[in-house]
Amino acid sequence: MPARNAKQWDKIPGKIESGEYVDSRIYSDRNIFEEEISKIFKKVWTPVCHESELSEPYSFRTMTVAREPVMVVRGADNQIRAFLNVCPHRGNMIENRPSGSFEQGSPSGAPKHMTCMFHAWQFDMKGNCVHISRGSEGYQDRLECSDVGLRRLRCEVKYGGFVWVTLNDAIDQTVEEWAGGAFDCMEKSLNAEPLEVFHYHKAIIPCNYKLWHDTNSEFYHDYLHYHNRITGFNDSYFARKNIGFDNGHVNVGSFEVQYDQYEGFESREELSFPHLPNNHWEMIDFFPGVNFNLRGSALRCDIMTPLGPDKVMIEFRGLGLKSDTPEERLIRQRHHNSIWGPFGRNLHEDLLAVSTQQATMSEFADKRRILHGRHEVDADGDPTIHDEEGMRHFYDAWGRWMDRWPGDPELSFEEGQKREAA
Amino acid sequence: MSESMNKQNAVSNVIYKASLFLDEHRWDDWLNLCHEDFYYAIKAFSPEINYDMIYMDGNREEMRTITDMLPKHNSDNSPLARHTVVYTVEMDESQDTATAVSSFAVYKTELDGINSHALAGESNIFLVGKYRDKFGFENGEPFFMERIVQLDTRRLDKGSHFPI
Ligand code: FES
Ligand SMILES: [Fe+2]
Repeated sequence: MPARNAKQWDKIPGKIESGEYVDSRIYSDRNIFEEEISKIFKKVWTPVCHESELSEPYSFRTMTVAREPVMVVRGADNQIRAFLNVCPHRGNMIENRPSGSFEQGSPSGAPKHMTCMFHAWQFDMKGNCVHISRGSEGYQDRLECSDVGLRRLRCEVKYGGFVWVTLNDAIDQTVEEWAGGAFDCMEKSLNAEPLEVFHYHKAIIPCNYKLWHDTNSEFYHDYLHYHNRITGFNDSYFARKNIGFDNGHVNVGSFEVQYDQYEGFESREELSFPHLPNNHWEMIDFFPGVNFNLRGSALRCDIMTPLGPDKVMIEFRGLGLKSDTPEERLIRQRHHNSIWGPFGRNLHEDLLAVSTQQATMSEFADKRRILHGRHEVDADGDPTIHDEEGMRHFYDAWGRWMDRWPGDPELSFEEGQKREAA
Repeated sequence: MSESMNKQNAVSNVIYKASLFLDEHRWDDWLNLCHEDFYYAIKAFSPEINYDMIYMDGNREEMRTITDMLPKHNSDNSPLARHTVVYTVEMDESQDTATAVSSFAVYKTELDGINSHALAGESNIFLVGKYRDKFGFENGEPFFMERIVQLDTRRLDKGSHFPI
């Protein structure tokens, strides 16, 4: 067909069906974005850092979850706890540094305490308020330490030592229940021995968080990457499958990477993670915005923090085994960074593609259909790696959480389903 | 001028020459300023994870493999240009080797990274840090033995994987 006029452009192309595309407004509309923050990001479990970032008692990390300031602290009892990083007095942020230790005193406060610098209220590592400056003078018996503990958050250390947090006290699932089996493919490898983060960088990218998640979920974009054009496209590659789990998570099954096809790459055999067959690759796209990628010798984890409809912060971590010798660690770092580091061969291509993708979907731009209708099956009828089942599975979960139909977000999920049935 | 002064000046000159070659993507010319045992690394310290990180490293041949493959990648082609200032050049006692510390800021001038209609031509600082270089000499001329790019910047947005 030749290029289309406006009316033709507006029509659903070919025999693509409802449920095989989304409306571009879900990537750009501010109201939908705000709804995602309140209906999804404030409700779910998310990993926020790794336990190796808080290696000693009294060490802490700070971050935000759905715009709320959060602090993760290791107590004297070695227990990791999470709190809102908000002072119950006048709402100051208690700790401003990204990481550090409360072992030493701060200018306003005593050692081994969290101290809000503003008026020097102090808290212990369990979040109890232990000191109100001139408390009885100012509040008499109207307010006591026991009235103003920090807001604690549910927190679990799970799956290779990631620290998981939720703002939702009422969540009825543990992290494991929320994962719904998505970690089965790599749990044994992650839990065999303690892990350690050796790589961290972040990027703030002008795109919606879902576009990054899509890119992590679809392998059809092999064509973008020189590395994949050279190493992929063999039978074992296409034997890889997308498996959907409850709650919108997807697992992309294992296959062997042909590193020797690519100049400048050695095999990852020698340092494969425990229980991971040589040169194999397992990946989890975790709803709504996390990716775990275990590829031979290194684990990568992307955590997305949406900052706006067209703005996302992605934190990239690389992990190896805590028991690594310096030489082994260097090799893992190289393996990780040569592809996924900020100067690696693939990452910049992915970041470029999602930026130029979002560039056509600015707020109030004409809506478009963004297709994910590939059904590509192998001889057994199982979806191959170029099937777009992963994205369809994600958007099905997204639509239910949002009660909006991804293909037309003005419809409720049920209305969309009815239209699809019709 | 003393031999030491001559050599120190020559070291500054070769750092500036390398800056121009990197600005102009003359990768071979850059690598030809380097010894065959040259080692290159981009490093950064992350307070988040309390760890000295290596973002990229390689010897001269590995760097050449990377730069030879640059045209095969889909890159943000926005030019990166650097402002380099050589702070110190120190000769060792034998006058056979030198170390130098330079400060640099790399600017990106947008070309095709997002929406070129609106953004092409805009310049922003892309990253900042220090070059820590080691040199040897042949016939009085310095050549790079090592370059450690120590980045201050750890928020590294969409860019490229060009050596810095
Ligand atoms: S706001 Fe924290 S002590 Fe006053
Ligand atoms: Fe990719």
